[in-house]
Amino acid sequence: MEDKLRRYVDGLFEEAAVTKKSVELKEEMIQNLQDKYSDLLQEGKPPEAAFNIAVAGIGDVTMLLKELENEGKNPPDEAARRKSAMFTAIAVMLYIISVLPVIIIGAVTDTYDPIIGVVIMFVIVAIATGLLIYNSMTKPKYYKESDTVVEEFREWQDETHERKQMRKAISSALWTIVTAIYIIVSFWTHAWHITWIIFLIAGAIESLINVFLSAKKKS
Amino acid sequence: MSITSDLIRGHTDTIILAKLMSHDNYGYEINKSIQQKTGGEYELKEATLYTAFRRLEVAGCISSYWGDEQTGARRRYYSITDSGRDNYKRLISEWKKAKEMIENLIKTEE
Repeated sequence: MEDKLRRYVDGLFEEAAVTKKSVELKEEMIQNLQDKYSDLLQEGKPPEAAFNIAVAGIGDVTMLLKELENEGKNPPDEAARRKSAMFTAIAVMLYIISVLPVIIIGAVTDTYDPIIGVVIMFVIVAIATGLLIYNSMTKPKYYKESDTVVEEFREWQDETHERKQMRKAISSALWTIVTAIYIIVSFWTHAWHITWIIFLIAGAIESLINVFLSAKKKS
Repeated sequence: MSITSDLIRGHTDTIILAKLMSHDNYGYEINKSIQQKTGGEYELKEATLYTAFRRLEVAGCISSYWGDEQTGARRRYYSITDSGRDNYKRLISEWKKAKEMIENLIKTEE
């Protein structure tokens, strides 16, 4: 008879999405119904009558199930999405503009060293990359449409993707900056035979960053 | 009977909070004690009870946890929070005020 109660409640929840909350509610309901059922048996009711009384006490669950469905929903933030799009647009614009100083300084004037144009370009590139990193780190996470297991998987997937993106952005910024430093230092000191060591140091720094990031992920 | 039910239903939250003031409890036990206190005349529909639990939990008035009975039955227990206690006191004083008002309003002049 207890199986019959379970089957009955299963039927009520047939239409409901399988979420943590709905499963918990179902278990709670079944347990309470079984308690009620065994109490009714102790009062001397025949099993059939006890089942009917227990089931009749449930009432209308449609509103309850609808409420459960709505609870999990979380509308994505439109303002945050716009901000993110703006950051990306500005960054792309900066990348395009970044070559201008090189062209202009090279064409217009002879008094300045052309290296200044290159330096400005790298500064602009660094700013653009910084914007992209900031954007990917502050971007709103994937919002769950509901609490279902599929959505949970999607959220997990999104988190992993986000971390990869961040690592990529940091790496590209690092190597751009390192190249800039390499060129500046080399032109400055003319010590081309030794300055390539900067790249070795950069490689070490990147590994350190990766270690730091995965340590942070675990904690 | 149905009119009385409607009158009581508006106070489901207060009734549940009152039941939880003394100790943590689970759904069926709460409903059973409501039934006993009203002499079997009133019993909450389970759907109403669970809806009230969800509402109170979202509002932060109660919290829930799964008990670990030795018998194998796993029951979901509810316990009242501090803000739930404050809410209970507020609801009680509101009810007292409303009761006085209604009594005055429906009284006929003699």
